[in-house]
Amino acid sequence: MTMNHRRSLANQGNALKSTGPRSVAGKRASSQNSRKHGLNVAPDFESSPEYQTLVDLIGEEGFSTFACADIASGLLNYRRAMDAYYDTYASPEPVDEFLRDANVKASNPIFSEHLSPSGSEPQDVREMAAFFASMQRQERRKGGPVSRRSSDTHKLIRYQRNGIARLSSAVRQG
Amino acid sequence: MLYNVHFGIYVDIAMPLEDKSKSLLPFLSSPKLLPNESEAEFQSGLQSLLSELDNPSPLAVALVSQLNECLWWIKRHTVDKELLLHEAMARLLSREGSNWVGSGNSALSVALEHYLDGSAQKDQAALIEEALIDANLTLSDLRAKGFKDAARHIKMVDDLIHRQHQTIRHLQRSIDSIDYKSRLIKRMDLELAALESKESVKGALTLDNEPS
Repeated sequence: MTMNHRRSLANQGNALKSTGPRSVAGKRASSQNSRKHGLNVAPDFESSPEYQTLVDLIGEEGFSTFACADIASGLLNYRRAMDAYYDTYASPEPVDEFLRDANVKASNPIFSEHLSPSGSEPQDVREMAAFFASMQRQERRKGGPVSRRSSDTHKLIRYQRNGIARLSSAVRQG
Repeated sequence: MLYNVHFGIYVDIAMPLEDKSKSLLPFLSSPKLLPNESEAEFQSGLQSLLSELDNPSPLAVALVSQLNECLWWIKRHTVDKELLLHEAMARLLSREGSNWVGSGNSALSVALEHYLDGSAQKDQAALIEEALIDANLTLSDLRAKGFKDAARHIKMVDDLIHRQHQTIRHLQRSIDSIDYKSRLIKRMDLELAALESKESVKGALTLDNEPS
């Protein structure tokens, strides 16, 4: 048995033991995995009316048929990235002001009342307060609306870079 | 023939080139503006860029409208840098002072915003001054601390601005290449026309010289 094969078997065995994120921070991070902007989905520009119009207009400028198709889809692809960029910028994840501004220590009596009206275990209250404090730290780390929209749009830089590179090379090679 | 391009905008394929370019503008540069932004300012920037085009073909117009949008994004992100700093300053102020509990930092943030641009009401100015005393900070100390606190996000915004600059460079190169191509085609057309006229003159001369 080769070293690589043994390592791959060990990796597979270890992967079976994995139970996903365990920490509160990990769970909160993975809960955001489904947030999508749609830029990873393969686009179908050819069937859109804008595409044919662009191809016709670009064709009149002396570009070959292939170049026209490349430029038109490059332009629409770039627009798609920029539209997603705008949408992300215009609607950042909302700030939970209550969570951000709440006083965790002052909330302890509320936790104990909620956990058991007849008097709860101090350990439970401590765990609840720790969980609440960790959520609050996460919320504060994300910052205000401007910080949020900056970090959200920052994630889309690569789509913008790929979009403009594709458009620019289509125009220059056409 | 009419094409429904977008949002009910129609492009007539048989219309003159310049009109076609203009009719494409709303589709390629539909100004997606934020509520506090001026559409007139956006359009005037676009028109001034378009006026610099030697050859306003539809593709050149499309690229210039993208370029205008990049400039607009740079403006937005530059404002964001200052806002990030204000956000961090308000956060620090409320954390250091006694305003953290209960009132939150939203009121403080609004008051600070007004205080910094000189439009604060009396009570807002009093709130900020009190918070500064509570935190034992001067405004410039707070600004320096805020900058340090918001450095990570300010760096992100710098990246975003840098990306727009790179995009502008790509667009400029593309516009140059279209311009060069159209000039090359025009030059070849002229040379062809000159050759044709030369040939026709030659033909006419040989016809004249032929013995009748």
